Amino acid sequence: MTTSNENQTAAIVALPEENEKRFTVVAILDQMPLVALVVLCLVTAILSDRFLSPINLTNILLQASVMAIVAMGMTYVIISGGFDLSVGSIVALSGCVSAWVMLETNVPLGIIAGIAVGGAVGYLNGYIVSHLKVNPFIATLGMMVIVRGIVLLITDGRPIYGEDGLPEIFLELGSGRFLGIHYLIWVPVILFIIFNWLLHMTAYGRRLFATGGNREAAFLAGIQVKRVVTSAYVWCGILGGVAGVMLASRLQSGQPTAGEFYELTSIAAVVLGGAALHGGVGKLYKSMIGVFIMMVLANSLNLLNVHSYWQRVAVGLVIIAAAAADQIKSRRN
Amino acid sequence: MATNVELLTVRNMSKRFYGTQALDDVSFNLAAGEVHTVVGENGAGKSTLIRILGGIHEKDSGEITIEGTPSEFTNPREALDAGIVIIPQEMQLVLDATVAENVMLGEIPSKKWLGFIPMLDRRRLREQAGEALRKLNYHGSLDISVSRLTFAERQLVVIAKALLHQAKIFILDEPTASLEQREAERLFEIVHSLKEQQVGIIYVSHRLDEIVELSDKCTTLRDGKVVDVSTRGHIEKENIIRLMTGRDLAELHQPHKLEFGETLIEHDNALSLRRGEVLGLAGLLGSGTTDYLRNLFGAGEEAVAMKLSGNEVQLKNPIAAIKHGIGMVPGERRNALIYDLSVRDNIVLPHLPEVSKGWRLDSKQIDKLVADLIEALDIRPRDPKKLVRFLSGGNQQKVIFARWLIGNFKVLLLDEPTHGIDVGAKVRIHRLMREFTERGGGVLFASSEMNEVVNMSDNIIAMRQGEIIATMSRETGEYSEGYLREALGG
Repeated sequence: MTTSNENQTAAIVALPEENEKRFTVVAILDQMPLVALVVLCLVTAILSDRFLSPINLTNILLQASVMAIVAMGMTYVIISGGFDLSVGSIVALSGCVSAWVMLETNVPLGIIAGIAVGGAVGYLNGYIVSHLKVNPFIATLGMMVIVRGIVLLITDGRPIYGEDGLPEIFLELGSGRFLGIHYLIWVPVILFIIFNWLLHMTAYGRRLFATGGNREAAFLAGIQVKRVVTSAYVWCGILGGVAGVMLASRLQSGQPTAGEFYELTSIAAVVLGGAALHGGVGKLYKSMIGVFIMMVLANSLNLLNVHSYWQRVAVGLVIIAAAAADQIKSRRN
Repeated sequence: MATNVELLTVRNMSKRFYGTQALDDVSFNLAAGEVHTVVGENGAGKSTLIRILGGIHEKDSGEITIEGTPSEFTNPREALDAGIVIIPQEMQLVLDATVAENVMLGEIPSKKWLGFIPMLDRRRLREQAGEALRKLNYHGSLDISVSRLTFAERQLVVIAKALLHQAKIFILDEPTASLEQREAERLFEIVHSLKEQQVGIIYVSHRLDEIVELSDKCTTLRDGKVVDVSTRGHIEKENIIRLMTGRDLAELHQPHKLEFGETLIEHDNALSLRRGEVLGLAGLLGSGTTDYLRNLFGAGEEAVAMKLSGNEVQLKNPIAAIKHGIGMVPGERRNALIYDLSVRDNIVLPHLPEVSKGWRLDSKQIDKLVADLIEALDIRPRDPKKLVRFLSGGNQQKVIFARWLIGNFKVLLLDEPTHGIDVGAKVRIHRLMREFTERGGGVLFASSEMNEVVNMSDNIIAMRQGEIIATMSRETGEYSEGYLREALGG
């Protein structure tokens, strides 16, 4: 805030002390998702003594790891002003392609193929949205159905694990540990560092925010908006591919039905983390908090023996409540 | 004025927002059949006053009396019931509904078909709407959808709707901001006919000419306080400006030059912009000036061929234009700013490659650049991290300007650069344009405000229907507002 003392004409400048008060209120509202997560954990820990057991916590982290990666890509797409319904299908396609290729050739090639096919579908999404100007909802809805159809076609609806299962090294990836922590947990940690840097510290990141925030203004500021929008879908596809490969290693097979509802869960997590569906607003770490809210909530309801049908109702309520809270916050601003 | 019935009295009204005293002990009154204008810089408290009267904000203290009765309202509906209506800048009409339906919205007449089935009564709908609109001199169709009306006609529809609601106090908030001269004159006629119907009008505008012409009374606000109330006959432009800004504005009169440097842009034998020149592009609303500037910037439908510093080029997109040292300030701020990004990010947006080290943004360099520009352009508040959303219109406009002051830009294309900003900010923008040319740049600026074009420009090109139809130069002597109007009016 300014310390200039010639501000008689600048009515917008708030006095310092009141400004700080306001700042605290906004800051707390701003961290609502984190507060909600902490409260959720505390309540669950009190109600169930199993919650804080190492096995349960590891379980949550393992479940969160795949979803976290999908949500990173979804954050990019949502900041660009769109969203991607096809990412669940991409997870399945990548897992199956990866499993199939590594059975035919070798493990590294299988992993690369799985990720690449995710990126390719992402590129198609991006091209359809930015060049053909199809609404992202329709474009990725169509792609979701097409890709799922292709997965079922190439696998004939059956899991892929060959005659003697997938290669040993690949399965090691799904269950092995480094420094006592699962590989599957290391992967999202490393990806988070990279993609957080890319989003918040680079020129590319500024372009992405600018394009999502106001496409026309970004265009007039000399940004190649089509390329930027397409890139967001490509990242989402690539990350969906990584998630698919990881899931395959955990399930020890390429599952044609894998990743169902991942698109909805990840969108919900990103929105819970405070990103705006109209684009241009969002933080990667907050999306991760959103993922953890979704995962801890599911885990908590399980531990408390809530019927799975009721679980769905509860999750839906939480999503709507989060969106409503966000509206109240933006009105206060 | 026939009568002097006191319609509205505001006594000692104050309002604070967080740290800001938006209104400070403001008193104000309005008689039936009177036009009371309110002027002030952006942030002086005009909007707050209007919004409290319209029931959008609640006052902290003070009294509002309507026709002698103390009134309290907490939402727009209650204000409307008390007879106060705001005719806003962005009007809320149902664009796909017909003119008649919009006028009658809220009180759609119905009849009973076969004695018991409720049905829309189209005949009464058209009759009542038609009558209200005829009083306002609207003779167009009642059955076309509002989306096909001009902006001025839409205002008529809103006013007719308010009249049907028995509104007695009209608050016109910048009603001419988007109108061209002839439409504005028509609006003034409506204001006069509203006066005859004994309606009281609170009129807010940045355009000082119309304030002098229309006002029966004029209240000037500065920093939330009333600094002056003048009555008809004592309202003078120079005086208002001094009261509003607290400064003398001899600066309004810009020096002009007759000698210029090399040619920067040439297009189609009609346009030629030289170093040191402010070239005005005059045209009424919808005359194609916006598209023309966009085309020159490479943001139009097709790439146009032009000469830049003597070389033939075709600019395919804004990226190419920016590379050639051309910057643009579009007519609408919402087309230029990313509201959810900070002042800092908005300023450096076109320069991201230059302020990056490899992939990484060079924060030190950016902060230095931005701090200098904020200081030089007097952008308030002095906070580079502030989201642009929270800045006033004038300051937002300065942010867009600041963008093109980084690096070596030779040409600025400005579309209505002072549209909707207050006199103080306007003078600053004009000074920036001048300074840019003094450093050897050229400015091409479009405006539908003839006064501004004539005062600011060294030379003028006039445009109608996308074609340049006349050129005026200070050298030839045939350089005046009258001459320009004649050329455009055709």
